[in-house]
Amino acid sequence: MAMNVEVAKCTKCGKLSYPTHFYCPSCHGTKFEPVPVGGEGRLLTWTRVYALPLDYAQLYVTLGIVELDMGVRATGRLEIAEPKTGARVRTHIGKVREINGKDITGLVFTAV
Amino acid sequence: MRDVAIVGVGSTQFGRAQWSLLKMMCEASNDAIVDAGIGERKIDAVYVANMGASRNNRMAGLSSGLVDRMNLYPHTVSETIENGPASGASAIKHGVHSVASGYCDLVLVCGGERMQEVNNFEATEFVSYLSHRYAEYPYGVTLPSLAGMFTRLYMERYGVEARHLAMVAIKNHLNGAKNKKAHLRIPITMEGILTGPDALNNNPWIAEPLRFFDCCPVSDGSSAVLLAPAEMVKEFKKTPVLIAGMGQATDSQAVQDRPDPTELTAVRMAAERAFAMAKLTPKDIDVAELHDAFTILEIVESEECGFFKKGEGHKALERGETQIGGKLPINPSGGLKSRGHPVGNTGVSQIVELVLQLRGEAGDYQVPKQPKHGFAVNFGGFGNNVVATVLKRGV
Repeated sequence: MAMNVEVAKCTKCGKLSYPTHFYCPSCHGTKFEPVPVGGEGRLLTWTRVYALPLDYAQLYVTLGIVELDMGVRATGRLEIAEPKTGARVRTHIGKVREINGKDITGLVFTAV
Repeated sequence: MRDVAIVGVGSTQFGRAQWSLLKMMCEASNDAIVDAGIGERKIDAVYVANMGASRNNRMAGLSSGLVDRMNLYPHTVSETIENGPASGASAIKHGVHSVASGYCDLVLVCGGERMQEVNNFEATEFVSYLSHRYAEYPYGVTLPSLAGMFTRLYMERYGVEARHLAMVAIKNHLNGAKNKKAHLRIPITMEGILTGPDALNNNPWIAEPLRFFDCCPVSDGSSAVLLAPAEMVKEFKKTPVLIAGMGQATDSQAVQDRPDPTELTAVRMAAERAFAMAKLTPKDIDVAELHDAFTILEIVESEECGFFKKGEGHKALERGETQIGGKLPINPSGGLKSRGHPVGNTGVSQIVELVLQLRGEAGDYQVPKQPKHGFAVNFGGFGNNVVATVLKRGV
């Protein structure tokens, strides 16, 4: 199952939004074209989470919010041993979770 | 529109429930009815606040269950309000609107949550449903993880240190130890949770930089208030407390979507609206119950509500201004941190605690100098749905 990791580009004003909203936050347009999330960005903040919800076998997961160069922010899984805020990261699509035995894919960030 | 007053309050013990969810809610409701002394007067409406009964307790339409157990059928209007962790204050708001408009006279608002019926993984999972369905939830984002990322950013930007977070926990545990109904009545020390050799064992990481004692417990509990028009307060036993102002605001669901993720805009806006309605300012407030689901939130909410400037909340805490006996006591009841956080009920329990303070009935944790104005923030999601309330002793 691939989660919605596409950025919505408003066909009227060109504004990118992620996550998507029904109306464009800039011009209230309702038509969008999908743009793949990708490229590099800067780590805004992060956490190592030990109190995990259901279906996790590991001790912790590392999560972060990244400011992507393409102009949106995204939350995702960090595969970085010692993250530092402000660090440059690269975007990948990979497995981020298992729910009811099914793999969920989403954004994974690694060090540049 | 009519002014609305609180004429009765009640609450169960918080912690691990000895009773079923509905039995807890009956006990809290009955306490409020006895407290008010309603005599033969009929309750016109029942508003129930709950977040997790459908998932955790396999119950839906909770208000019908409460009306049934309390024998309030068939005349009573009733409904259940689910607004995440802000359900409690939202239900009170609906009660206030119904009395203010003249639709009802005597209204019972009862919050109830029984979270310990499921294990901690299930409880964490259920609360994480508050996160954004596509941008946050699939990554295992939980409320503590949003709080962890928020805390790191806030610490770096405003110079808040781990010891400030610990000070919130220590203060609120000290307060809660004096509250017989609190969940965690254990005083804690800086050495025990942060600086001593056993600190990491006593206080392990939950979502860095937050540790165990930075997070509220998973609690069961129920609280209730009785609302009546101000013109009727003489018919009841206790000193009435006026709902002077209520405000609410809704922010983006995903934290990443906010122009500045260190701002809790919905808290600020809800507080501004509540103060405007009450025609009061933050300087008028004598006691506050803030939504300290995580220690950082008490500090940041105290700033967003206008009690301290942005970036100054932790300094006021350090100066002792928010202790019982300080300039502005915050969470004298122990807050969510120590009193506990039965999610859907918390907003009701905050108002119950403020009413006790304004009446002078809070006993060992009573704020001195007869407080006149109280203030509460009930915070839903990670700040995406917030209700603020201003209370005033007398009508």
